Amino acid sequence: MSISERTTTAPPMTLGQRGILSRFGPSNRAVFPWVLMAPTLIILFAIGIYPFLYSLYIASHNVILSKPYLPRIFVGLYQYQALIQDPEFWHALRKTLIFTVQAVFIEFWLGLGLALLFQRQLAGITFMRVFILIPMILPPLVAALIWRYMFYPGAGLMTYYVGGITRALGFGEIPFLSDPAVAFQTLVFVDVWEWTPFMFLMLSAGLASIPRQPYEAAEIDGASSWRVFWTITMPLLRPAILIAVIIRTMDAFRTYELIVIMTRGGPGNATTTLNVFLTKTGLEFFDASKAAALSLIMMMIIIVMSFVFIRVFRSKTEVAE
Amino acid sequence: MNIVKLSAATAAGLSLLLLALPAHAQTEAQKALAGKTVHFLAPSMPQFAALAKFFPEFEEKYGIKIVVDEVPFENYRQKSLVEMQQGTGTYDFFAVDVMWLAEYAAAGFLEPLMPYVKNGDLTDADYDIDDFLPRVISGTGVFNDTLYTLPIGAGPVGTTFRADVAEKAGFKLPERFSPEFTTKYMYDAAKKVNNPESNMIGFANIPGRWFWGVTYLPYLFAFQTPETKGDEYVDKDWKITINNERTIASIDYFLSLKEFMPADSANWGIGEATAVYQAGNAFGTWNYQDFVKGFFEDPETQAKVAGKNVHLHTPAGPSGVIDPWFGAWSLGVSKDSKNKEAAWTFMQWVTSKDVQERATQYGAGPSRHSTYKSETLAKYQPWWPGVYDFMLKETNPDERVRVPEWAEISDIMGEEGNRVWIGEIDSKTAAANMEKRMTDAMRKGGYYIPGRNDLPKQQWRDLTYYDRLPSEWN
Repeated sequence: MSISERTTTAPPMTLGQRGILSRFGPSNRAVFPWVLMAPTLIILFAIGIYPFLYSLYIASHNVILSKPYLPRIFVGLYQYQALIQDPEFWHALRKTLIFTVQAVFIEFWLGLGLALLFQRQLAGITFMRVFILIPMILPPLVAALIWRYMFYPGAGLMTYYVGGITRALGFGEIPFLSDPAVAFQTLVFVDVWEWTPFMFLMLSAGLASIPRQPYEAAEIDGASSWRVFWTITMPLLRPAILIAVIIRTMDAFRTYELIVIMTRGGPGNATTTLNVFLTKTGLEFFDASKAAALSLIMMMIIIVMSFVFIRVFRSKTEVAE
Repeated sequence: MNIVKLSAATAAGLSLLLLALPAHAQTEAQKALAGKTVHFLAPSMPQFAALAKFFPEFEEKYGIKIVVDEVPFENYRQKSLVEMQQGTGTYDFFAVDVMWLAEYAAAGFLEPLMPYVKNGDLTDADYDIDDFLPRVISGTGVFNDTLYTLPIGAGPVGTTFRADVAEKAGFKLPERFSPEFTTKYMYDAAKKVNNPESNMIGFANIPGRWFWGVTYLPYLFAFQTPETKGDEYVDKDWKITINNERTIASIDYFLSLKEFMPADSANWGIGEATAVYQAGNAFGTWNYQDFVKGFFEDPETQAKVAGKNVHLHTPAGPSGVIDPWFGAWSLGVSKDSKNKEAAWTFMQWVTSKDVQERATQYGAGPSRHSTYKSETLAKYQPWWPGVYDFMLKETNPDERVRVPEWAEISDIMGEEGNRVWIGEIDSKTAAANMEKRMTDAMRKGGYYIPGRNDLPKQQWRDLTYYDRLPSEWN
């Protein structure tokens, strides 16, 4: 039997099949897009909306996973109130905000500097570009372990060489992970090392998309490089900056592996950020309700920060246009 | 042939036959389990590595396959609790730290074991549960009078020092449990040999924020008096008692050891302190008896220190009090396991007299009378028999109060103590903070609800509770 024969002998559609097709098929323009989107929506609900709703439920009850024998009592907003009254929460929030602002600020300017530098056609630039991206490619866990051993007391490369230099200069050893202030800055340093390449990548793409005409016009007008940078490059780079800064801010705000592996929130509570506090609450003490409330607060903070960024950048972009 | 000769020949024949039989003949019920696979979740620690050497032998003998997932110790509690809480039965049996039993058993995550112990179809005839040290089995595996886990090894916490370094400095370290070994003695000895310029620090302490709640406890107990015994953390009404002059003195003593430590040591955990000691750069450090073979006495991996050590107890305080601490790991069957009988078959085999004794040559610790008295232990780990009496009569299973709130209490002590170490607060403030925060944790646990009459019993106030014969538990 040939293919054409087989095609022509296909059984005709039943009435029921025709009904389904007319109700959900391409001919029904109101319903068909939803049919196409249904798999995505189901997955979105299962992995995004349901857990969110369940978090709301857990946060409004008293659930301690290691004590399943306790009754689940509805406590309303008590978990949020308890967190707001908890000095540990405010300490962790302060540390998180300082860490995020510091890390993203440094990463942005370093990333921008590198992106501008790599716009020029220099020898070996392709190799250098790949080399710069290596820290970002490493899994955060591996990067944190590498640096933990670099700062290992008495044996790490950093403690050995930098410590040797500071000792020779008469300053003694630098307590990279033992002094509260230094340990915090050490974490910022490692975060900058790991994520500046991301800023570089995003901003490089942004720079490549800027049209040449404004620069040519500026050159004819005799504008200085400084003026070109502030009046052409920066305004036209804003969409890329906005995306890069928002993504990095959300990431830095949630930094976990780096801190847990290098300092575990210490010394004292000097590097205990919200995510470390959250993990301790949820997975050490198994207080699921408090952890759920905390994660919802963190989500709200991130949404508000993103919203502020978008508003500020959009208004500046509109002014520039 | 007369009757005497005939009897002698028969007896000899029977003896030979018995010797030829395997130590544990399998029952029909055990044979029926062949082909099953059991999953075991364990921390990466020397004593589990020692047991792993016996897995092939068990698999060959019983036909049951053991699949082990090893998790770093710092992540182990999290991983095991999440697995148990999900109730999927992914793991058939778990390693359980002595401190987590109350939490796990109260939550119903573990299977009571006595029915298995008493089941002759699943337990070898010569298992002899009463061969376990009473306080070890009751302190490790009993919750609310019910047996939930079996100990694989249990030993006191102690200190390890370099005898050769002491000798070079002109003094000899005391014997284990000698009253001479006090907090003052330890400090003075460490000071005598402390010479960081020559790569020798007096004492490699463990002040890290996540370890303080463990490594500080020997000093908290040492600074008690006979009158305050039992009231170290709570009084009879579960009111927190930590804010007192004894706690402050013990924190100050712990802090005095900072003098011997490098500047960058506030985050040191067991790994860092042990590594410094193993490299031959410290005179003394903290130990847990089960780690001694794996961490200090293996000539292949610790060539610089193996054979040169003296293993002592933690120092006695000003009133002569010694920390009665012992640590232990045990094995418990998951309530959600689908292979409980196969898991039990392995557990009873690996904790049997024969296997426990043989495992000591690889670094596993003893928890049975017979193992303590064995020549194998004396030969391969000669530091163990000396703690037998201590484990029988002195240990207190509730040295760290075994309540589900302990994880939080330990964390609070760790954080506040470590803040003293880095100079953020003083010891008085730390003790006050500990009391306030520990009280909050207990309040959250429902200990102060007026009229509540089902609070746990404080068994440590009468340690005879823990001295029952193992077979007497439910």
